[in-house]
Amino acid sequence: MPASHIMTLCGLFLLSPAGFADPVALGIDPETRLKHWEWNADGVLLRITQRLPDQTRAFFLARGFNQADADHIAGNCIFQSMFRNTGPEASGTVTSDLNDWRLSSNGKQGRLLVREHWRKLWAEREVPQSARIAFEWSLLPTQQTYAPGDYNWGMTSYGLPPDSHFDLVFTWHRNGRRLEGKIGNIQCAPDIHPEPNPANE
Amino acid sequence: MNRLNLVPALLGFLALLASGSGSGAGPDVSGETLTALPDKPPAPEFTLPDIDGRTHRLSDYRGKVVVVNFWATWCPPCREEMPAMQRAWEQVRNDDIVFLGINVGETEDEIFAFTGDYRVDFPLLMDRDSAAIQDWPIRGLPTTYVVDGEGHLAYRAIGGRAWDRPEVLDQIRALR
Repeated sequence: MPASHIMTLCGLFLLSPAGFADPVALGIDPETRLKHWEWNADGVLLRITQRLPDQTRAFFLARGFNQADADHIAGNCIFQSMFRNTGPEASGTVTSDLNDWRLSSNGKQGRLLVREHWRKLWAEREVPQSARIAFEWSLLPTQQTYAPGDYNWGMTSYGLPPDSHFDLVFTWHRNGRRLEGKIGNIQCAPDIHPEPNPANE
Repeated sequence: MNRLNLVPALLGFLALLASGSGSGAGPDVSGETLTALPDKPPAPEFTLPDIDGRTHRLSDYRGKVVVVNFWATWCPPCREEMPAMQRAWEQVRNDDIVFLGINVGETEDEIFAFTGDYRVDFPLLMDRDSAAIQDWPIRGLPTTYVVDGEGHLAYRAIGGRAWDRPEVLDQIRALR
């Protein structure tokens, strides 16, 4: 989807009462109606985009998962995600560890379900190797070091039911300094199913 | 059209969504170059078949600069950068510079279908069991390394790049 097709609901970099630019922008794709949240500040860009559970089911069914396992993945609040070091050339590398990220939903604290969590589950369920490989590499890496300009793309899983809301605190390190960002009131995609357009019937 | 006939259309719609095409996959990389690796570690060896059945060993290319791209057909930024990689290869193919695309975990049929949509003339190798990628310092797709003529990792790009950008090509050509 070309970026030009993305309609931003809330303007980028809205000014807060304190006069500082809000680093979080919320957008919605006009065709799919899927929402995305984007943090862009302090030399880091994090963008997470809703995935319908049916999208996720279709993706993993096509890669060798059975229906029960595809349903299980789809029910764990999956987002398409991109993390990028947007700092200038001299700013140095950014390291990120998803184990350090925290989410809160309905007063409860939680963590992302990272590759290592899923790897153990798929071994227990004896998922075919080709499916496991596709799953592993389709997730955002748990740990990564990003040079300026580097980015990773991949799914992130928040372990919440469809349509849940949560706040995300994410962290990274640059030049030995720990930094963090927060995106509030993120919504997992609801478990809806596309219906045929009656006009086409 | 009855409801039953709409099922393939719906599945097609879901497949389009599932592919990630609706997610705004990659950022603007038009200004990015490659990250130099000062310690230049040795490139891990691999022996992999391409989609035509020919075997490729990295060491077969000793003396040449080799751009090794790890990718998958379902990875949107991998697909996004492939046309630029093809254009880059067309510009340097006669300069002792080799491009190898290593697909992670997929079949000949899946890769063949991809090449129906994306023209790729450099070798596409298959790492079906992901054994090769696990030997390399890689955590996400796409990741690309540029191997110098002595078999050392000289540059790295995590995420896609505009491979046909003159500044990027200059970095690669300078290794000859």
